[in-house]
This record gives sequence, C-alpha cells and structure tokens, in this order.
Amino acid sequence: MSDITMIHAPQKRVPFAQEAAGALTILALGAVGYFLYPDDLAFLTRLIGIAFLVLSLDLVTGYCGVATLGHAAQFGVGAYAAGIACIRGVTDPVALLGVGLVAGTIMGLISGALITRFRGLPQLVLSIAVGQLVAGLANKLSWLTGGSDGLSGIEPGKVFGVFGFDMYSRTGYLFSLAVLVITFVVLQRFVRSPFGLMCRGIKDDDLRAKMIGVSIYPRLVAMYGVAGAVAGIGGALTAISTGVVGLDSVSFERSAEVLVMLVLGGAGHLWGALAGTVIFMIFEHVVAAANPFHWMTMVGLLLILIVVFAPRGLIAPVMSLWTKMTRKGKAA
Amino acid sequence: MTKMSRPLLAMAIMGAMTGAASADVIKVGVIGTMSGPYSLFGKNFKMGIDAWVAENGNKVGNHTVEFVYRDEESPNPAKSKALAQELLVKEKVQYLAGVYFTPNAMAIAPLLEESKTPLIVMNAATSAIVEKSPYIVRTSFTMWQNTVPAAKVAFKNSAKKVAIAVSDYGPGIDAEAAFKKTFEGEGGAIVEAVRIPLATTDFSPIMQRIKDSGADTIFTFLPSGPPTLGFVKAYLDNGLKVAGVKLMSTGDVVTEPDLPNIGDAGIGILSTYHYSVSHDSKENAAFLAQLKKGGASVDEVTMTSVAAYDGARLIYKMIEATDGKRDPAKAVDAVKDMKWVSPRGPVSIDPATRHIRQNVYLRSVAKVDGKLINKEEQTFADQPDWALSKQ
Repeated sequence: MSDITMIHAPQKRVPFAQEAAGALTILALGAVGYFLYPDDLAFLTRLIGIAFLVLSLDLVTGYCGVATLGHAAQFGVGAYAAGIACIRGVTDPVALLGVGLVAGTIMGLISGALITRFRGLPQLVLSIAVGQLVAGLANKLSWLTGGSDGLSGIEPGKVFGVFGFDMYSRTGYLFSLAVLVITFVVLQRFVRSPFGLMCRGIKDDDLRAKMIGVSIYPRLVAMYGVAGAVAGIGGALTAISTGVVGLDSVSFERSAEVLVMLVLGGAGHLWGALAGTVIFMIFEHVVAAANPFHWMTMVGLLLILIVVFAPRGLIAPVMSLWTKMTRKGKAA
Repeated sequence: MTKMSRPLLAMAIMGAMTGAASADVIKVGVIGTMSGPYSLFGKNFKMGIDAWVAENGNKVGNHTVEFVYRDEESPNPAKSKALAQELLVKEKVQYLAGVYFTPNAMAIAPLLEESKTPLIVMNAATSAIVEKSPYIVRTSFTMWQNTVPAAKVAFKNSAKKVAIAVSDYGPGIDAEAAFKKTFEGEGGAIVEAVRIPLATTDFSPIMQRIKDSGADTIFTFLPSGPPTLGFVKAYLDNGLKVAGVKLMSTGDVVTEPDLPNIGDAGIGILSTYHYSVSHDSKENAAFLAQLKKGGASVDEVTMTSVAAYDGARLIYKMIEATDGKRDPAKAVDAVKDMKWVSPRGPVSIDPATRHIRQNVYLRSVAKVDGKLINKEEQTFADQPDWALSKQ
C-alpha cells in the first residue's frame, strides 16, 4: 500500500505535470485510434462511454472500498435522462451532457445514501437491489423510457452548432475523447485532493479514520455523488452517440461487466480503470468478430489467466516495475 | 492536418462505398444472436441463409454474394449500432440483415438512410420497426399478426371469459393489447390481465389468480425457454386443465425444440403461429432436407431459419434488380409486391408496410409417430400486420 500512497502524494516540483502527462497520453492514444483505425470509430466511441462507467466504479470501489454490483444504475439514469431531454427538445450535445451529469449525480447521491450505510455482504446485496430497482423502473415506465423496446429517436444537434453526428462517428469519437480528457484530468486532481486521500484512508482502515475524527458516511455519500456524475456523463455520451438507450444500460450484466474490467485493469488507479476497459473491450471486439459463435469462451479464458497471473489487475505489475525503475534512477 | 484529412478521408470512404457497385463481391452484413442464451435463433439465421445459398449458388448475375456475421448477443442497442456501423464503414456491406431484438433494430434504423443500405429484419417483431426507415423490409412476423387470429379462434371456440397472462416486456404488452382489442371487439370479456416479470419461475400464484377470476380460457405469451415450461407445468399441476380451462398461446410458447420438455401433458395446447416445422408442403420438405444436408438437426429448427431463408431470397432479388449498385430505393421497390411460396406457406410483401403477409395457422400439440409436433388445424390466409394495416 505504501507504493500507492507514494505515487498519489502531491508532487510539488512541476505544477500540473501529472495532469498534463495524463491528458497528453490519452490524446496520443486517441489520435492513434482516430488515424490508424478510422473504420472502427463507432466501436471506439462505445468504448469511451463505458470507460466513464469503469472510472466511476473505480472511484467507489477502488478508492473507497465499496463493493457494488449495481453501478450501472448511475450510468443508465444519465443515459435515460439525456435521451428523454433530447426527445423533449433539448438537442444541444453539451447541454445534454449537463443533463446526464446532474441526473447521474442525483442517482449517485441516492444510491450512496442507501448503499454506504452498510459494510460487507449487506452492502453488496443492497447495491444489487438498487440496481434492480432502477432496471425495474426503466422497464415499467415504458411511456417515459420506451421499456424493453428501448428509447429511440434521439437525434442530438451539432456540437457547437458545427460538427454533426454521422455514421462514421468521427464527431462522436472526438467529442467523447475531449470529454474524457477533461474528466480524467479533473479526476486525477480530485483523487489526490485531501478529500480523495481521506477516502483512500477510509478504504484502508475505516476504524482508524473514525478514531482521528473523520465522519465516514457523509464522505462516502459525497464520493458516490461524484462517481454518479462521472457515470452520468458516460451515459449521456453513449445516448448521444448511439441515438438509442436500452434496458441493457441499467442491467445487472452491465454492472458485473464493468466490475470485471476494473478488476482486470487494477482497482484503485485511474489508469487501471482505463487500461481494463481498453483491453477487455478490444479483446472482446476482436474475438467476437473473428468467431461470432464461440467468442465468449475466449473471454472466459482471458479472465482466468488474469486472475491467476495478475490477481491485483494488470496495472499492479506495471506500477511496481515503474517504482523500481524510478528508485534505481534515484539511487544512481 | 485534421482539417485537410477529414474531408479527404470522407471522400475516400465514400469513394470506396460507391466503388463497391462495380466490384464483384457484394457483402451482406448479418447481425444476430450468435452466442448466449438466444444463440439457437442466431444459429438459425445462418442455417436458413446457408440453405438458400446452397440451393441458389453464391452468385447473382456476375456478382458474388458474401455474408458477414456479427454477434448482437443480447438486447444492447449501443453495441448493435456500433456493429452495424463497423459493417457499413469497414466491411462496406451493401445490405444489412438479421436482428433478433427490437431495441437493436431501432438503433440500426437511423443509419440506413445515411448509408443508403436496405435492412432485412429477420426476427425483431415490434410492429413499429418498419416505420423507422423506408429501407426496412421484414420477413418474420409481429405479435399482432399472430395474436389477432388467436383471439378470433378463442371467441369461435365459445370462450366467454378470458384471462390474459403475458411477460412484462414489449412483445408481451403488444400481445395483450392485440388480444384484448380483437376479443372485446368480437364481444367477449377479459376478466383478468396479468403481466409477469420476465424472471418469474414460480407460476402457481398466477394460476390461482386465474382460477379465482372464473376465466374459461387463458391466453398467454412468454418468450420461449424456461419460463414457458414453468408456465405450462403450473397450468397442469394446479388442476386448471382438469377443471376445463383451455390454454391458448402464440407459437412462441410451444416452439418445436421445447416440445419434448413439455412432454405428453402438453397435448392439446392451442397456438397460432406462422410457421410449424411439421408444415406439410413440398417447399417445407425440401427446405428441411436442405438444412439437414447443411449439417443442421431438424430438432433445432425454429422460425428464424425460415425468416432468414426468405430474407436471403429478397436480398438476391434486390441485387438482381439493382445489378449490384447501391440503390436502396430501387432495391426495396423491387421486392414490394413480391409473392412466392415459402416453406411456411404462400407469402407476399405488403407494399404499404414492407412487412410480410402470410398465413397464420391454428395448431394443437399432438403426438404423431411418437414425436410431439404442432399439428396445423386451421389456416388464416394472408394475414397482414394488424397493427400497421388498417383493415
């Protein structure tokens, strides 16, 4: 654990160096996707949408230690809110993002208030219950959400009145990428803020945190609100770029899938969340295209291999290698 | 850099797409449930298409037709849309086909006009899909199409009080509405309407409710699989059959692969559907023989293979009419009004709705030569989609 705190301790030397590095890395990767795979932008846009949800889950699971299998609720509420707003006349994409953000935050605060009251198994069960409740509502309120037919007919306007969404997904991709960069930089700042570090402390030892006078519950709820905002943005982005919101966006499978991605990449690191999403989704995409009939077996195999050889996620070995290298550099 | 490259890229892609017209290979993207709980139906898409290709060759004129498959897996519109975009942009398909779930079809629909691509829907059964784009043609069925005859049969069989029990999702609600409207229109009464959550496995309380309502007939729709078995078992175990309460359903409840699991107790269950594997015609016999030749087992044939077989026929006709050029309006015009004899019986494409008109059969589960089948008893000829056609 000491490794992690060292990495996340504020560095004084160059202000905003880490943020700039993060933004540039994502932009570079994004450019690679844009120029080398111009035919796969629709898939990459979907990937970015999911990445928001995994980042959001990382905030509560990786940074606060809250076990949840109902996190798709925040994503789905954001997506539905943006979709409904768009159909009712708010077509500006940036405004729709705002709608998703607000809806996600509210949903996050509600589920946080319920879920973080407990620890351990009751917490997990409650998170599933909240997720199922939202999924049930999305199905029942079919006059509002389209029920199992999905909410279709979402036609967002142009970004800043210039760039329209088309079937090549260029606008959708660049728009999503830009939002991801901004969100990621803000989150990088956020998890190293006193509040973020305190959440980390609560995760490591909540009793000790209590002893030094921290009230845990409101902090966890607040963190849930922030996570809800991130997930809500992802939901809104997906709704905008896809034009349809279905029950899958609030489903249990979605919640479980993103947990798998997070574990794969490494919980407790923003980069881990991103890496997990990218690796899982690309792997799934490639094998599903190569063999549409038996690809799930391959995905299962990948997961078993990861759990056996890198139980703390793929990011852990990379991080330890990194610290070793920097330490050696200092010693020399 | 980007300012220059973007229009260039767009032109390159557009060029490649229109260039496909003169090329020899015409690709057809098929999106279906190839894995997961619904994989049987996706597999049937491929079986049906393979049967058509085996009979008619992979060439239309001097154009070679190639089918590219993608897995929609579950109702996941975002994924399906991305798959369709990938097929259009990367694989440069000229036709899209397949689609098992309604929300997925809804997600793909907005792409069709921009990319000038016809979509042949081979399953998704919500009526409104064909209204989402003028380039959509459907060769499957709709809930309204199959349910309206069921209500008529129920009334004719002197049912007075009917209890409706459907799964609580789109198609179930469609079935409930169609049955209610038709049955009440004929002069019958609906005494109970239960919507059952999709995950339900214990149907005893529902059977009790139906018993208490005093209904003489139950109409039900559930997606085929474990729930249908549970429902039929609960109907038998709670003594409703013995008490003389009849069970009517659409064919989804008694698909042929499920019949052995329902067992002999299911004999006599009535259903209305557009295709029975046991349909007695030379076209169906030839179709089943072709499927067998392709390595498929007759026990896993479902309605989606017939829809895919007929869908492939439409695609061949479209390619022939446009001579391999990307011209969706002409392609769709070529198949409007088309009439042919499908393995399911005589069918035609309704020019007004672009949905298939077909016979709907009243069947009852029967044992013939030691095998449970859906025996056709009555034919409702040339049924339109009752929700779209105002007749």
